[in-house]
Amino acid sequence: MTALLATENLTMRFGGVVAVDGVTLSIGERELRCLIGPNGAGKSTFFRCLTGQYRPTSGRVLWRGRDIVGLEPHAIARLGIGIKTQVPSLFDGLTALEGVALGVRRLHGEREARRRALAALDRLGIADLAGATVGLLAHGQRQLVELATVVAPEPDLIILDEPTAGMSAEETAGTAALIREMSRDHAIVVVEHDMQFIRAIAETVTVLHQGRVLVEDTAPVVLSDPRVHDVYLGRPPEARQAVPA
Amino acid sequence: MERRRAAFQSGLAVFAAAVAAWWLPQVLELFSIINATVYTAMAVLALSLALVWGFGGILCFGQAAFFGLGGYAYAVGALNVGDTTWAIPIALLVPTLAAAALGYVMFYGRISDVYMGVITLTVTLILFNFINSTAGEEWRIGAAPLGGFNGIPATPPLNVPGDPGTPLTPEQIFVVALACLAGCYVLCKLILRSHFGRVVVAIRENELRASLLGYDVRLYKLGIFTIGGAMAGLAGMLFANCVFVSPTMFSLAYSGQIIIWVMIGGVGTLFGPVVGAMLLQALTAWAGTLPDINPNLILGLVLVVAVLAIPRGLQPTLAGLLRRREAP
Ligand SMILES: Nc1ncnc2c1ncn2[C@@H]1O[C@H](COP(=O)(O)OP(=O)(O)OP(=O)(O)O)[C@@H](O)[C@H]1O
Ligand SMILES: [Mg+2]
Repeated sequence: MTALLATENLTMRFGGVVAVDGVTLSIGERELRCLIGPNGAGKSTFFRCLTGQYRPTSGRVLWRGRDIVGLEPHAIARLGIGIKTQVPSLFDGLTALEGVALGVRRLHGEREARRRALAALDRLGIADLAGATVGLLAHGQRQLVELATVVAPEPDLIILDEPTAGMSAEETAGTAALIREMSRDHAIVVVEHDMQFIRAIAETVTVLHQGRVLVEDTAPVVLSDPRVHDVYLGRPPEARQAVPA
Repeated sequence: MERRRAAFQSGLAVFAAAVAAWWLPQVLELFSIINATVYTAMAVLALSLALVWGFGGILCFGQAAFFGLGGYAYAVGALNVGDTTWAIPIALLVPTLAAAALGYVMFYGRISDVYMGVITLTVTLILFNFINSTAGEEWRIGAAPLGGFNGIPATPPLNVPGDPGTPLTPEQIFVVALACLAGCYVLCKLILRSHFGRVVVAIRENELRASLLGYDVRLYKLGIFTIGGAMAGLAGMLFANCVFVSPTMFSLAYSGQIIIWVMIGGVGTLFGPVVGAMLLQALTAWAGTLPDINPNLILGLVLVVAVLAIPRGLQPTLAGLLRRREAP
C-alpha cells in the first residue's frame, strides 16, 4: 500500500547549512505521528519543503505515490494538506469566523462554510471569539484560531508545528483532545517539545537531529532512548517540558 | 448585518449621485459643470486605486498609466468610429488588457513589492515619454493624430447612443460621469462582498495563509489589479470627455496625486478616497487663484498636516469619532 505522504532523501541546503539532510519518512493514512527534535533540528524547514514554501535542494516528496516537488503551495494545499505554521499565520484584520470560513469556502457553499467554521471554533472552545478581530487576540487564542483554520476544511493530512506553544494548561489539554479526535479520520503530524503531551497523543515518534532522522519508534521506546536525551542537551526529557520556541 | 450596511451605503451613494445629477446642473454655470465632471472623473480614478491598494494591498504607482490609456483609447476610438458610444468599450478594453499584461508579469514573475512599485512607475514614465514623442504626422491611428505633447484637442465627446450627429451636452456628460462614479462604487461594494473580494482582502492580510488554504494568490491579485485598471480607464474616458487627452495624463504628478487622494481619504475605505479626490482638487484649484503663492507649497503643507493630524485618513477618523459619540 502506498503511504499517504512519503519523502525520499529529502534535503534542503541554505548555502553551507544543511537544514534537512536526506530525510526518508512515510506517513500512512490516519496515522498520528510526532516529530520531535531540539531547536534548529530542521523540523520547520522539513514542513516548508512538504508544503511547497521551499523547493527542496534534492529528494522527492510523494503524495499518494505522486511526486509533488515543485508544485505551488496553493496547489499542494488543494491536494488535501493543511499546515499550522510555527509562527502563527493568520488573517489579523478579519474576524475569527471570517478567517476560518474562508478556508472552507473553497470547498463548500457560503452557508455550509459558515456552519463548519463555527463548528471548528466550537470544537476548540472558542465559539465566543467568532466575532473577534484576530489581530487583537492573545497568543494562545491565536494558536487556537489557527488550529481551527487548519482543521475546518478537513484536509487529509494535518501538519501542526508546535501547536500548543503559548497556550494555557487548559488550552493545551483541549488541543490534545482535538488532535486525538481528529486523528480518527485524518493523518496528523505534530511537532511538540512537551513530553507529557507527546505521551498523551502519539503512537509513533520520529526524532530529527541536525537535519537527519535519529530514531523512529513507538513513543515509550523513543522517550527512553538515551540518544534522544543526549540531543536534548543531555537532560532527561521530563525536565524539558515547554521548551521555548 | 454587514450585508445590510453595504446595501444601505450603496443606496445612499446612488441617491447622492442622483440628487447631484438633478440639482447641480440647475445651479452651476457651464464652467463649473465641466469642473464638477473633472472632479467626478478623478473620484472614479481614486476609487480604482482605493480598491487595488486599500483592499488588494497592491500599491500601484502607475494608476495614471491606465487612466491615460483609457483617455487615449477613447479619443482614438471616437475619432475613428462614427458613433462615439462605440469608443466606450475600446476605452475600457485597452487599459484592461494593459493592466492584465502588466499584472501577469508582476504577479506571476514573483516580483517583490518594492520592485512592483518601481515597475508600475517605470511603465508610466515610458508611456509618458512615448506619447510625448508622437508629435509628427506619421503618428496617427486611423483618423486620429496622437499629437505628441499637444495631445488630441479635437476629441469628439460622447453622443446620444445611435445618433452620432447629436453630441451630449456638458450637463449630460456630467450626469454620465456621476452615474459611472455611483456605478463603480456599487461595483466595488459588490466585489468586496463576493467570495472573490473576500479572498483578495484575506490575501492583503496574509498572503502565506491564503496560499496555504489553497488560494492561488497570483490569480486573485491579477484579478483585482485588472479590475482597478479598467476602472482607471473609465476615469480616463470621462476625463477625455470634459478636458482633452494629453501626455500629462500619464505624468508622475497624476500618479502621485491619486495616491495622496487615497491616503487622505483612508486606505482601506472607498468613500474616503472619493471625498479625498474632490477635496484636494478643490483645494488645488483654490490655491491656484492665490496671488504670489506657489500652490504646491500650500498643497504640501496641507498634506503634511493631514498626515500628522489624521494618519488613518478621513473616513476611518470620522467613523471613529462617530462611534465614540454613540457609545459614551
Ligand atoms: N531561510 C533560511 N535560511 C538560512 N538558514 C535557515 C533558513 N531556515 C532555516 N534555516 C536553518 O536551518 C536549520 C533548521 O531550522 P528549522 O527552523 O527548520 O529548525 P526547527 O527544528 O524547526 O527548530 P525550532 O524547534 O527552533 O523551531 C537552522 O539551523 C536554521 O538556522
Ligand atoms: Mg521550528
